[in-house]
Amino acid sequence: MAVLIDSETRILVQGITGKIGSFQTQLMIEYGSNVVAGVTPGKGGQVFNGVPVFDSVHGAVKEDSPEVSISFVPGQYAADSAMEAIDAGLRLVVVVAEAVPLSDTVKMLQLARERQAFVLGPDTAGLISPGRSKLGVQPHLLFSEGPVGMISRSGALSYETAKTLKQHGIGQSTVIGLGGGPLWGFTCTDALRLFQQDEDTSAVVLLGEIGGHMEEDAAQYIGKEFSKPVVALIVGRTAPPGQKMGHAGAIVQQGKGTAQEKIAALRNAGALIARAPREIPDLLRKAGIKSGR
Amino acid sequence: MNLYEFQSKRIFSENGIPIPRGRCVESAEEAAQVASEIQRSVVVKAQVLVGGRGLAGGVRFAENPEETGKVASQILGGMVKGQKTRIVLVEEKLEASSELYAGVTYDFRMKCPVIVASSRGGVDIETVAREHPQDIARITIDSLRGFSPYIGRELASEIRLKANVSFQYANVVAALWHIFKRYDAELVEANPLAIVGDRLVALDAKLSLDEKASFRQKDLMDRIEQIPIDRLEGFEIRRYRARQMGIPTYIEMEGNLGVVADGAGTGMLTLDLIADSAGKTGVYCEMGGETTMELMENALKAVLSVDRTRVVLVNLIGGLNRMDEMAKGITSYLTKNPTRIPIVVRMSGTMEEEGRRILREIEIHAYDDLYEAVQEAVHLSR
Repeated sequence: MAVLIDSETRILVQGITGKIGSFQTQLMIEYGSNVVAGVTPGKGGQVFNGVPVFDSVHGAVKEDSPEVSISFVPGQYAADSAMEAIDAGLRLVVVVAEAVPLSDTVKMLQLARERQAFVLGPDTAGLISPGRSKLGVQPHLLFSEGPVGMISRSGALSYETAKTLKQHGIGQSTVIGLGGGPLWGFTCTDALRLFQQDEDTSAVVLLGEIGGHMEEDAAQYIGKEFSKPVVALIVGRTAPPGQKMGHAGAIVQQGKGTAQEKIAALRNAGALIARAPREIPDLLRKAGIKSGR
Repeated sequence: MNLYEFQSKRIFSENGIPIPRGRCVESAEEAAQVASEIQRSVVVKAQVLVGGRGLAGGVRFAENPEETGKVASQILGGMVKGQKTRIVLVEEKLEASSELYAGVTYDFRMKCPVIVASSRGGVDIETVAREHPQDIARITIDSLRGFSPYIGRELASEIRLKANVSFQYANVVAALWHIFKRYDAELVEANPLAIVGDRLVALDAKLSLDEKASFRQKDLMDRIEQIPIDRLEGFEIRRYRARQMGIPTYIEMEGNLGVVADGAGTGMLTLDLIADSAGKTGVYCEMGGETTMELMENALKAVLSVDRTRVVLVNLIGGLNRMDEMAKGITSYLTKNPTRIPIVVRMSGTMEEEGRRILREIEIHAYDDLYEAVQEAVHLSR
């Protein structure tokens, strides 16, 4: 199976009746995701696209036993909604909201640690296992099934890369969006650990960006324990220092978190380095991945 | 979002952290007046949001009111590390027998808040961490359990403070934690936290707020006097207007290419590809993942408001973001504001067919391939 989700995984949507939540839920259902319940406080009892809506996560758990959740709840309430899901026993929560206060985020992540639940995000596109299930907002037409696991801080950069791979007949096992940072629940190394165990994944594409040290931490893990080929692309090589480049975590501060440092760490760990998505198919072929057409 | 020193100090003072006597002024005459009230030597400090002011000439001492006025007039209106000085803080000059450090921030690797203490203040804490790691103590905070005062005492003991200041130090730590929580800070630090006689005084104060929490910090936001728009210049005005229009990221560089993107990663990729193709970006707008038609219009307006923009490259690859909405935004802007400046659009993702159809009506061919779009934009910018 793919990592984290498969076609059977029972999905809860938090914020299912909002503008974005309802549109994206419809797209997930069309893709084949097994959406079993939704939550919007005050709208319990309604049915949306065939999905029953509950007032609380506990209510939804009692009736329809969802395992994972995706939350479209706006930033100011997002951490609270994720904590509600973790408290109700869900094992994975995807937090899509971009602007979640840091002090809320650390509380949510602390609870996740204590309950051994995964939080993907905040500010993430979620995850997609092409052909099986989608727990995210990805434009699924750009993705295709195949042997490559993909990890990306940026949602859009994963779409861009999946589109390029598809043109070269290379598909993905699971694509994991980590989020804009600077605090991440699920990290690059967490994702690599899952791909290491996953039989459907023969190589990994790691899409990083400037700021923080997640790529350096991942490089350490790759050098010591990861046995599959890794192709890495780090964007922001030419970004001006001291500026937040659209993600709260994408900033070079006091000379730290540069693309150059990350590229060097990953290269030393044995990763193949791409300068742009279109170089990735050739590097994957070099690493033994066959293209489908 | 960083606060000025005088704003941070006001908040320190309200929360019981001692600060030097003084106030901030905007003219040399007022500066001299403050010095005569203080009746001793003073320090005149440029209020700019950059580190290393001292070495850049932004912090100077004066013995008497006349000299204070003279020093203030030299600093006011001048530049400190690229920032224009409009306000100076005039404070009593205090003799420190020793300088300490106390700060609260986030440990992004451990994913929790951390309180940092050091017996070496007055320098950048990163430098101390590198050169004298034995003189730094750190305690991470479990956000669900919170802070308890013993943590301040523990830190004071770990950095080997003497009994006469260790309780004061613990109180400062508790106050910094309170400020950190109360105002949703990303960073709050007293550095240097000086030992003056037998008391601790924060000679400098830094407070950086988490902008993502500003929705619940309205009181503070209202209190922080922003520099009035009529006093902003050039780039500052354009960035201010971009913010007012809801554009999350607005950055100016030196080239002539305007770039609009709907994702941080693809935006940075676009900038990298432009540079690799020997093009030069002049202004960059990133709209975030959930973009509206109005925001698309505003982003075009922002990049076209920069005189040196010769070509605009719009790179859109939507997930949450719908291409039909984006196409409507582009169409709406160009219908209202016809321009001779070429607009190169790349479009892919959610509802892309509908987006392309809408753009065809105004005779814009939306590229599917990012490289082709970049090549075309760079070519047109030459």
